Amino acid sequence: MQSRRKFIAQSALAAGALLTSNSLFAEMQKDKALKKLTILHTNDVHSRLEPFPMDGSRNQGLGGVAARAALINTIRAEQEQVLLLDAGDIFQGTPFFNLYKGEPEIKAMAAMGYDAATMGNHDFDAGLENFATQLKHASFPILMCNYDFTNTPMELKYQPYKIFRKGKLKIGITAVGIEMTGLVPDSLFGNTQYLDPIQKANETAAQLKKEEACDMVICLSHLGYKYSGNKVSDIVLAKETENIDLIIGGHTHTFMDAPEMYTNKTGSDVLVNQVGWAGIQMGRLDFDFAGFQPKKLSKSHTVIVGEKTNE
Amino acid sequence: MCFMRRNSKFFLVLFLVALFTISCKTVYQPQSVKYKDYRFTNNSKQDSGLIKILQPYADSVNKSMNTIIAVAETELEKKQPEGTLGNVLADAMLAKAKQVYKIPVDAGFINYGGIRLTSIPAGNITRGKVFELSPFDNIIVLQKLSGKIFQEFLNHISARGGWPAAGVTWQIKNKMAVNVLINNLPINENGVYTVALLDYVANGGDDCVMLKTIPQINNGYLFRDGVIAYFTEINQQGKKIASKIENRVSNAE
Repeated sequence: MQSRRKFIAQSALAAGALLTSNSLFAEMQKDKALKKLTILHTNDVHSRLEPFPMDGSRNQGLGGVAARAALINTIRAEQEQVLLLDAGDIFQGTPFFNLYKGEPEIKAMAAMGYDAATMGNHDFDAGLENFATQLKHASFPILMCNYDFTNTPMELKYQPYKIFRKGKLKIGITAVGIEMTGLVPDSLFGNTQYLDPIQKANETAAQLKKEEACDMVICLSHLGYKYSGNKVSDIVLAKETENIDLIIGGHTHTFMDAPEMYTNKTGSDVLVNQVGWAGIQMGRLDFDFAGFQPKKLSKSHTVIVGEKTNE
Repeated sequence: MCFMRRNSKFFLVLFLVALFTISCKTVYQPQSVKYKDYRFTNNSKQDSGLIKILQPYADSVNKSMNTIIAVAETELEKKQPEGTLGNVLADAMLAKAKQVYKIPVDAGFINYGGIRLTSIPAGNITRGKVFELSPFDNIIVLQKLSGKIFQEFLNHISARGGWPAAGVTWQIKNKMAVNVLINNLPINENGVYTVALLDYVANGGDDCVMLKTIPQINNGYLFRDGVIAYFTEINQQGKKIASKIENRVSNAE
């Protein structure tokens, strides 16, 4: 009897040791890492390849692709699952663009390993043909679901969405662009057809979540964060859609203090973020995911937002 | 009997396989997110690979852009309804339009969004700075507007918070332009006014639909070239670029 009890105690101890043993702990950590996603994002960089010049101006010394690239490399070395995204207006704003029409901008983004980007109104500035031509330097797709580029130089140079497999996660990314009329000269957008961004984003997001079974849907947006009138914005997009989890915005050059949470049509959370302009800042969002059985999945869900302080 | 048993066993296996398959299909949902914004400064670590990619482009950009063309006496600011930066650019617009087209021009405007820097610091202004200020290849064009259309245009830009202007003053009241003075005379609905605009605006940009069908006088002179020339001329006269708020555009009490 004594020995039997001893045996059980020893077994329990051994099992406990096994649980806390390095290999199992590492397994658990690995599993956790496979359910984590780090999103890095920029918008409205506007050809700001070098930092603002040191001439006493307010933004002097800020920004620059060399500093951004170094940080991206550091984060990629620390995090397994990273997505690097841009919400448009890559072009226009410094003499680099006047002289080289976007070639160094796209080359720099390719070197930094951008995973996807969308088009802003200023990416039309040297003509659609120029934008399409510069994309030969790109290693990332241009996403857009509400511009119909049929019969334009962009016809074969963009896609409505892309699905990324990140660890155990399946991430769907789509993008919406702003209405060109009254903003982009007619001669520049040519045959490009603007379609309702809410409707197209809804259709695409539903396809990504339902048919493609994506765990998360991100929408890059160059609509702008917020307007006083009833013009469609990221806030409207967040509230009027279903199946979008995160909106990475641009156009209004808004420096947000923190990402903002909105409730979509089905009562689920949608996070909206934007990081000013000129590559002065880069946003980082670290998501933790949990696994569910499909039938136990609640129709609406809440994401807890916190500031990252461990750096 | 034997057949029945095998059959039910088969269905049991099938059922278990189906159950297993379903339970394996885990879906994931974001539970929490932590955010952080990184700001890049002079002290940030630099990636040498990117510097190398940029080098050939930067060399030639800097060579052509670092020329000092003028000196700003004070900081010039972009502001609505009126700012010192907007005033000096509108002055350049009107002066160059008169010079290039050699006809009387009543007023000059720049769309607020067309100014792409929030300020210019006091001190040296380089050629590159003007490129950053006005990166677009916008052309100075003239349009002859009836007093009625002119008023409509002024109302439109008042609703947008007020744009830089020269040759005209007004106040913004309930998003409308009131007390409009052109060359110090009240606007006349039946008058015809020659107005200098960027082709972007004259083509209906920033929702200026009222201008879209009006014929343009256009000789292809770039606004940016006009600003560089205007600044250079002031500098050659031994003067600095100076600008002040003159209540050209103000909000009515």
